[in-house]
Amino acid sequence: MNSKHIACGIVALFIALLVQLTLWVQGKRTAVQNEAGAAQQAEATASAQLNQERVQIGELRRQSADLIEFLRIWQPYFLVDSPQSAEVNLSMKVKDANLVNLAQRFELTPLKGNTSIPNTMRGFLTFEDDYARLMNWLGELEVKMPTVRTSSVRLSKGTRANDLRMEVILEQPLLKQ
Amino acid sequence: MQITGRQIDDFKSDRKDITPPLPVVLRLVPLLFYCSIAVAVILSSIFAIQFQLAVQKRDTHKAMSASLGAQTQDARNQRAALETQIKKATDIQNWVAGSRPLQPLLVEIARSMGPRSSIVNLRLDREADNPSQYKMALSMGTDSTKQIDLTMEKLASLNYRAFSPTQTLGRGELDYKATLVHQDPFRQQNEEAPR
Repeated sequence: MNSKHIACGIVALFIALLVQLTLWVQGKRTAVQNEAGAAQQAEATASAQLNQERVQIGELRRQSADLIEFLRIWQPYFLVDSPQSAEVNLSMKVKDANLVNLAQRFELTPLKGNTSIPNTMRGFLTFEDDYARLMNWLGELEVKMPTVRTSSVRLSKGTRANDLRMEVILEQPLLKQ
Repeated sequence: MQITGRQIDDFKSDRKDITPPLPVVLRLVPLLFYCSIAVAVILSSIFAIQFQLAVQKRDTHKAMSASLGAQTQDARNQRAALETQIKKATDIQNWVAGSRPLQPLLVEIARSMGPRSSIVNLRLDREADNPSQYKMALSMGTDSTKQIDLTMEKLASLNYRAFSPTQTLGRGELDYKATLVHQDPFRQQNEEAPR
């Protein structure tokens, strides 16, 4: 082997290096192209998911429009959210009516199967007064406080001729805020 | 003494090539080297341009994916909020549906009493599981069962129907028990319409 052969070998080595460099650049390009393809696929998937989500929201909005409108109308009537204010509220209604109130007590009661209204304030009230006054008071209460539920009513004769004894259980819902 | 130009430029005398010449195939190596440089430069340039374009494309798609993902999450949050609202509305609707006023019912029962009848005891209890239904227990001072028929007619005019009625008559007192269910006339009409 003479110097010419050595020179040839060195040149051949340079050629191999150039080929390697070119292949390396090609490999980098291919890798990034693959990443771009994957990113494009991910974008298409995300776009499909967004479209599906929008369709579902639109459908849900359409189906629940009446319910949401119902909530918008009725929610202001569910302002009472604490047991104290519920008790005061009912007590004031009884006091304002100036009826003969024999007994009253209140207790906080859990409500089953209603996650939005977990508790109600139950008022156990006993009156003995004129029939018309009692019925008017109850009717007015049910109209003015439509969220208050009359759970139980027991009517019996009072001690005087026109009097009526009324035992009533009223429930004030306490909406979870 | 003058030195000629040729003498200055050519210090080195011609030497005889002492090594044997390369074979013909190996003589192509320098040519291949130049070619490979040219090809490598051209291909590398093409690959580099394609690399840059792919990087731009990848970054654009990633940015779009991130944006779409954020929008999807936002939409999911909106849907969750809407579902919460729907649940709340349903719960409130159930409560309101089970809070129908009782006073008109009491008044109608009282008004239905004839001259020879009177209410001794009346009890209306909402059912805990189904608040739109009431358990009614009515004790009347009367001597016939006609009064209860009249009372139930009056209740029917308020769209209440009695289920599972039981009545006991004795010593001038009638005990009547039943479950009262309110029936929405509009709903009934809508249900009957397709027939």
